[in-house]
Amino acid sequence: MKHTSTVGKSNKTVLVLLILGLSTIAFPLYMTIVIAFKQPSEMTNSISGILSLPKTWSLDNFREAMEVTNFWHSLRNSLLISVLTVGLSIILHSLMGYALGRNKAHSKFYSFVYLFIVSGMFVPFAILMMPLAKQTAELGLANWAGVIILYVVFYMPMNIMLYSGYLVNIPMALEEAAKVDGASTWTTYWKIIFPIMSPMHATVAVITALAVWNDVMTPLIIMAGSGENTLPLAQLNFQSQFGTNYNLAFASYLLSLIPILIFYLICQKQILNGVTNGAVK
Amino acid sequence: MKNDRQRTFLFITIPILALFVCFNTIPLIRGVVYSFTNFKGFGKYDWVGLRNYIDLFSDARVGKSYLFTIKLAIVTTIVVNVISLVLALGLNSKIRAKGFFRGAYFLPNILGSLVVGYIFNYFFTYILPAVADMMGIRSLSTSILSSPSKAWIGVMIVCAWQAIAMNTIIYISGLQTVPEDVYEAGGLDGATGWKQFRHLTFPLIIPFFSINMVLCVKNFLMVFDQIMALTKGGPAQSTESISYLIYNNGMSGGQFGFQSANAVVFFIVIVIISVAQMKFSSSKEEQL
Amino acid sequence: MNGKRLKCLGMALCCMAATVPLQGCGASSDKIEIEIVQYKPEAANYFKTVEDEFNATHDTIHLTISSPNDAMTILKTRFIREDYPDIIGIGGDINYSYFVDAQILADVSDYKGLQDINQGYLDIAEALELVPVDGTYIVPYVANAAGILYNRDMFAEHNWAIPETWDELIQLCESIQAEGILPFYFGFKDTWTCLAPWNAMAVELSPSDTTKQVNRGETTFVQEYRELSEKYLGLLPYGPDDPFAYGYNDACTAFARGEAAMYPIGSYATPQILSVNPDLNIDSFVMPASDNKEDRTLNSGIDLGFCVMAECENKEAAYEVLDFLLEYENMQKYIDAQNAVPCKNGDFKLASMLDGMLTFINEGNMTDYQDHYYPSEMSVDALLQTFLLQKDVDSFLTTFDTNWQRYNRDIIRLVQEYEQAH
Repeated sequence: MKHTSTVGKSNKTVLVLLILGLSTIAFPLYMTIVIAFKQPSEMTNSISGILSLPKTWSLDNFREAMEVTNFWHSLRNSLLISVLTVGLSIILHSLMGYALGRNKAHSKFYSFVYLFIVSGMFVPFAILMMPLAKQTAELGLANWAGVIILYVVFYMPMNIMLYSGYLVNIPMALEEAAKVDGASTWTTYWKIIFPIMSPMHATVAVITALAVWNDVMTPLIIMAGSGENTLPLAQLNFQSQFGTNYNLAFASYLLSLIPILIFYLICQKQILNGVTNGAVK
Repeated sequence: MKNDRQRTFLFITIPILALFVCFNTIPLIRGVVYSFTNFKGFGKYDWVGLRNYIDLFSDARVGKSYLFTIKLAIVTTIVVNVISLVLALGLNSKIRAKGFFRGAYFLPNILGSLVVGYIFNYFFTYILPAVADMMGIRSLSTSILSSPSKAWIGVMIVCAWQAIAMNTIIYISGLQTVPEDVYEAGGLDGATGWKQFRHLTFPLIIPFFSINMVLCVKNFLMVFDQIMALTKGGPAQSTESISYLIYNNGMSGGQFGFQSANAVVFFIVIVIISVAQMKFSSSKEEQL
Repeated sequence: MNGKRLKCLGMALCCMAATVPLQGCGASSDKIEIEIVQYKPEAANYFKTVEDEFNATHDTIHLTISSPNDAMTILKTRFIREDYPDIIGIGGDINYSYFVDAQILADVSDYKGLQDINQGYLDIAEALELVPVDGTYIVPYVANAAGILYNRDMFAEHNWAIPETWDELIQLCESIQAEGILPFYFGFKDTWTCLAPWNAMAVELSPSDTTKQVNRGETTFVQEYRELSEKYLGLLPYGPDDPFAYGYNDACTAFARGEAAMYPIGSYATPQILSVNPDLNIDSFVMPASDNKEDRTLNSGIDLGFCVMAECENKEAAYEVLDFLLEYENMQKYIDAQNAVPCKNGDFKLASMLDGMLTFINEGNMTDYQDHYYPSEMSVDALLQTFLLQKDVDSFLTTFDTNWQRYNRDIIRLVQEYEQAH
C-alpha cells in the first residue's frame, strides 16, 4: 500500500478526468430534477426555458406522482420481487456457477451445460412472451411468484458467467485444504467458497436488482389482469401516444431511483471488501 | 471423496438445469413452433411450412435491420469497453471521494428510459445544434436524430452512456481479484503505468473482459429500449433494430409467426457470434 | 457464522413472502362479474368514476374497468391464456378487423342500444370487416376527428379566412408566411404523426375503400395515391425547416406557444397542447385537400367502441353495463374530458375546438381514416416519413404497392376466396 510520488501525481489527473466525465451525468440529472419540479405550463422548446429553475420548488408533482402510481403499494411489490429475485439468484446462481465453473474445463457434460445455459441469454424475449404467458397461466403462476421464477431463469446465464469467471482466480488449494480436514464438498462450498465470492455476490446483486427494478415487460405480460402493479408498470400511466405528463413522470422516476441507488451504495462497499478480506490467496 | 464431489455437483446441477429448461427451453421450442405458422398472436392460424423463413431472406427491411444492429453493436461494444475499463481503473485507484464518484457514475443506469429518451431527444434536437451553431460546426447544426445517415450515432451515444456503468462495475469487481502482491512484485521489476496494465493487470482480468465483451455484444445486438425511447426506428427506418422489428411487428403488429422466424434466426446468429467470442477469449486465457 | 447468516436470509425471505396477501378475492361471489379492458389510458379517470357509480347503483352486477397502458399487448397475452375479459374497449382499426376475423367477438346485433348509434359509424365499423360478416361486433362509443387545428386568436387578429379548397389553403399559407409567421408545425420525428395530414387529405382525394379495391385487384396505390402524395409534399415548405427533428410533443409545445398558426393533427392533441398553455384559443377546420368543394368530408373514425367477447358468459349483464356507459350524462362527461365526438345520436355539447367541424358532424358527412385499414406491421407511418425525407413520389408509391401485397398476402387471399364464393 505504499505510494510513490508518481502515483500521487497521476491520481490528481485521474481525479480531474473523473470530474470532467461527471458533467455528462450531472447535466441530464440536473434536467431531470428541474423538470420534475416544474409545471406542464413551464415547458418550452427554448434552451434557456428548459434549463431555468422552476418557478416554485413545490413538492406537488411528487405528491401527485405518488398518488397516481399508488406509490407505497407498487413500491412494496417492486421491493418484494427484487429482494426475492436477488436472494434466490445469489443462492442458486452461485451454486450453479460453482458446479459449472469447477468442472467445465475438464468435463464435456458440464461444459455443454454451461454453454447451453449461457446461450439461453440470447433468446430474444419477444419469442418467449406468448409461450411464457400461456405456460405461467397453465401452472397457476400468473402472479408475482411467476415473475420471480422467470427472473431467476432469465438472469441465470449472465450470473453463472460472472460466478464462474470469478472462480478462475480462486485457487483450488483452498478447497483441497478443507478436504484434507474431512469436510464434504457441500460444506466446503458454504464455509469457504461462498464467503470468498462475496464481492461477486454484491456485483450480481446490483446487476440483477437493477435489471429487475426497471423491467416492465415481464410483469406486464405475466401479471396483466391481476390488478397488481410494480413501480415501472404504474409509471406507464404517465405516458400515452397522445399525451405525456413529463413533469409527473420525472418526479416519479426520481422517487423510484432512490431505493435502488441506496442499495447500490451498500453493495459497492461489499464489492470492495474482497481485497481487504484478504481471502483470495 | 471424489464421488462425494461429483455427487454434489450433480445434485446442484440437475434441479437448476431442470428449472432452466422448463422456463427457457420449453417456451423457446413452443415459440419455434409458431415460426412455421401465420399466427397473428390470437385466434386461428394455418401452417405455412417454411414460408416465413424464405420470406425472411428476401425481406429488405429485415436485412437492413441486421446491418444497422451489427454496426451499432460493434461500435458501441468498443466504445463502452474502452471507456469503462479506463473508468474502472480510475475508480479503483486511490483517489478522494471514491464512493461519491462510484455512485454518480452508476446513475445513468437507473434513470428510466422515458427520462433518458426525453433528455437526449432534447439534447440532440435543441441543445447540440445550438452549441454547434455557436461554434460554427455546420454538419451538427441540425438534429442528428433527424438525419437517416447520422441517427445511429445518437443511438450509439445513448446506449454507451447507459451501459458504461454496468460494465464498469464488472471491471471493478474483476480488479478486486487481482492480488496486491502482483503489483508489488511488478513494482520491483519496474513495471508502471501502461506496462503494468498490459502485462500484469489485464491478463488477470481477462475473464471479466470476455464477460463484458459477450454481455455488450449481446445487449447491443438486442437493443430495444433505447430505440423505443429515442427514434422508434426512424428517421426513414434507418434505426430499426432486429429486436425492435421482432417486438413491434410481432407483438404489437400481426406478424407473430413471421417475427418468430426472425427471432429464431436471430437467436442462432447471436449464439454463433457469442460462442465464437467465448472460444476465442478462453483460448487467450489459456495462453496466459 | 455463515450458515447462520444464510438462515437469517432464508427467514427474511419467507417472512416477506408471507406478508403478501392472497390476491384475486375481490368482490363477493353472488354478484355477476363484468370486466372491461379498454385501451385508452388517458381516459382512465373517467372510467374509474363510471366504475364506482355503476357499482354504487347496481346490486346484481359488479363492474371492473381497467385502462392499462399498452392494452393491446395485455389483451393479446390474455387471449393466448384464454383469460378473456367480458368487454373490450378498442378503436375501429385493423386490430378490430383481425378480432372479427378471429371470431373472438360476440354478435351484438340484438343489443337495443344500437338503435341510438349514429348510422355513419355503424357503416364505418362494417366496412372494417375484412370480408363481409353477418352481425354487428362493436358498439361505437366516441369518434375523433382529424383536420387542422388553428390558433383562433391569431387568425382573428390577421383576418385570415378558413380555406375550403386546396388552392385557398395554399394561399392562406402564403399570406401567413408573408407576415413572418410559420403556417404549420410538424412533429415528424414521431412517425405516426406523418399519418395525420395524410389521412385528413386522403378522405377527399381517394375513395374511402381504396385498400379494399386494391385487395380485390381492381386498382393500385400508384394510381390512387398520386395526387395525395404530391399535395402532401406541397405542405412541407410551410412547416419548420427540419420537421424530422421534432416529435409530437415538441410540435404540441411549439403550437401551444404560438410558434405556428396551424397544426395538422387530430382533436386528440388538444389536451396535450392545453397542458402547456391553458389559455390558448384553439379551433379546427376540415383539411381542404380537393379543389372541389363538393368533395369535402370530415376525417373521422371510431376512437373507442365496445365489443362483447364471444366468451362472455352473461351477455344480458354486459348489455346492462353498455346501457350505463351510453347514458347521456356519462357520454357527455367523456366528451368533455377527451374532446371527443359522440357516436350516439343526441344533443351533446361538444368542445369548442370542434366548432369548425360541427356542420360536418351534424350532417353525418364523415369518412374513416385510411390508416385504419393498414396493417400496423407494414409501418406505413415509417414509409411516409421516408417519403417526406426523400420526396420521391414514384419510388414511394411503388414501394407502397409492393409492400402492401407482401404484408396483406393472407388478407388478399381471404378476400379473393370470398369473391369467388359469392
